[in-house]
Amino acid sequence: MNILRLVNQTQLVAVFLIALWIILLVGLAMLKPAALNPNMVTSVLQFSTILALVSLGQSLVILAGGAGIDLSVGGTVSLSAILGMLLLKAGVPAALLPVICIVSGLLLGMGNGILVTRLGIKPLIATLATFFVYSGLALALTRGAAQPGVPDLMLNWGRGITFGIPLPFLTLVIPAFLTVGIILTTTAWGRWIYAIGANELSTKLVGIPVDRTRFILYSISGGLAGTAGFVTLAWLGSGRPNVGQNLELESLTAAMLGGFAIFGGRGNIVGVFAAVILLVTLKTALLQMNVNTVWQLGIVGVLLISVLLLDQLSQRSR
Amino acid sequence: MRPLHNLTAREQILLAACVAACIVFAIVSPYFGTIDNANTILRNSVELLLIGLGMTLLMAMGAIDVSIGIVLGVAAIVVGQSLLHGFHPLVVTMSGPIVGAILGIVTAVVVVLGRVPAIVGTLGLLGVYRAVIYFALGGQWLSGLPRDLTTIVTRSVFGIPVTYWVIVLVYFCVWIALRRTPFGLHLLATGGSEEKARLSGLSVIKIKFAAFVVSGALAGLAATFYVATYRNVEMTIGTTLALDAVAAVVLGGTRIQGGRCSLIGTMLGVLLLRILQNGLLLIGVPSLWQPVITGSLLIAVLSLEAIAGRFFNPKLSFGAKT
Repeated sequence: MNILRLVNQTQLVAVFLIALWIILLVGLAMLKPAALNPNMVTSVLQFSTILALVSLGQSLVILAGGAGIDLSVGGTVSLSAILGMLLLKAGVPAALLPVICIVSGLLLGMGNGILVTRLGIKPLIATLATFFVYSGLALALTRGAAQPGVPDLMLNWGRGITFGIPLPFLTLVIPAFLTVGIILTTTAWGRWIYAIGANELSTKLVGIPVDRTRFILYSISGGLAGTAGFVTLAWLGSGRPNVGQNLELESLTAAMLGGFAIFGGRGNIVGVFAAVILLVTLKTALLQMNVNTVWQLGIVGVLLISVLLLDQLSQRSR
Repeated sequence: MRPLHNLTAREQILLAACVAACIVFAIVSPYFGTIDNANTILRNSVELLLIGLGMTLLMAMGAIDVSIGIVLGVAAIVVGQSLLHGFHPLVVTMSGPIVGAILGIVTAVVVVLGRVPAIVGTLGLLGVYRAVIYFALGGQWLSGLPRDLTTIVTRSVFGIPVTYWVIVLVYFCVWIALRRTPFGLHLLATGGSEEKARLSGLSVIKIKFAAFVVSGALAGLAATFYVATYRNVEMTIGTTLALDAVAAVVLGGTRIQGGRCSLIGTMLGVLLLRILQNGLLLIGVPSLWQPVITGSLLIAVLSLEAIAGRFFNPKLSFGAKT
């Protein structure tokens, strides 16, 4: 019966998101028909890559409950990209660039994990502090200047397109979502994550290592943010210290829109995937109509609040 | 309010840290130990002192408001505009707190009535208010505002500028509300355990609602002082104020789970932060490092607290949460 409700919920979220998406596309078609072309699909997917990776990590952290949240994702993206470029400048072989970015992201995520699970600091305060430390470090280490000099080979990958799909999306986002989806639905470890989010005390009593699982999830979130940091390098051609700006807000919105419960234990990554595409389509459409990026921030904020309010209302009426 | 020997250990340590930081910076930098610089530090603390008081109330009941710096920004724009239009000084002065209180009501409606976790709700509002600031400023600074407001707040009464009288008055009001009225007791009870507070018959929603409105009004009052001092409003106004306020409150010994708070601790925390920021700037650390230092300080204090808590309380197992 529980699973039946889960399926219904997922379908409901999917229908809701697709409806919103169609409204958005129809609106764009009426206001600016020239913007609707195959190139738009490519550009939406290109822009989605970073948000999709970060939102996946954010969703996993939220799913495991315990007021879990990762506000530091944006800072992690910026700092891992900057660390990669700074080490490259210091003489580390260029081939190691992706490894450096991913590992530094992983380490930053582990930092969050230690603060939250080992020291028992509230996730929101711990990751708020690390957000300022990480994003501040990215700015302070570079004095705010972009770090150029990404190798051509990586640029070819980062800007490459096959059959209209950007290579980073094809080689990172799709495998990442498939892997996480399979882990969440078919393995015991994946079911643990749902269980921990749904009822922490019972899972502790049956012997599931709650803290270790959450620690791993914070690390994964950091690792995915580090991967996103590498994608920004390969795509933009330089390490920008503010590249991860506002990602915490956008990834939270994607997770909430995608049907994840803020208190954990409920959600499906298919919804997150759809929500990311919807958000990026919205941003691209606004960009096409020359709306300032600050407005996008406002709209994302309104979306986040309304989704949360709707979710609370539907929970109460059940 | 309380004599020195009545301060808790935490507050004494903070006071000692402030004094120690002052001594170190005065030795290292010839510019630090001057009356002018002391005035600058106090001047720079005004907004954070007011916002810190509100944040203490919020965190005492286990909530938080990360949009508070931007609330100050929105209120500052209204104050600046009413100053430009030459309204009566009383209207100009009061427009800050009123706008702040209105935004506080908005936050309270979302977070308290909507039952959205404070961190996520206020993060969403942060995005909305940013857009509002952009819309109101149109990408340009509000600068070169008239001096009317400045002359009011810098006027001395009994040798002390009006600004500091207001801070003392606000501190006293918040202290009375927190320590001498049922409201304060109920607020702390809500922070200690919302469920138990509700079951004891307290109107938890009313208490939380009031705290958010007070916090917003204090941020609005801070906006009035901000405009009076700097006479401009820039696009990036208030971006790190929320972190500074949270750091000051935590440094001051307020429990982040709620239920226990220290107003005097928050005041000392604000001073310590501002002394550190001023001193580090004077010895040549670029201001870009400030969020890194504040964030690290916050993490260090929380980690030490967690480790010390485990050390003195053997009942807590590894990784357990209190």
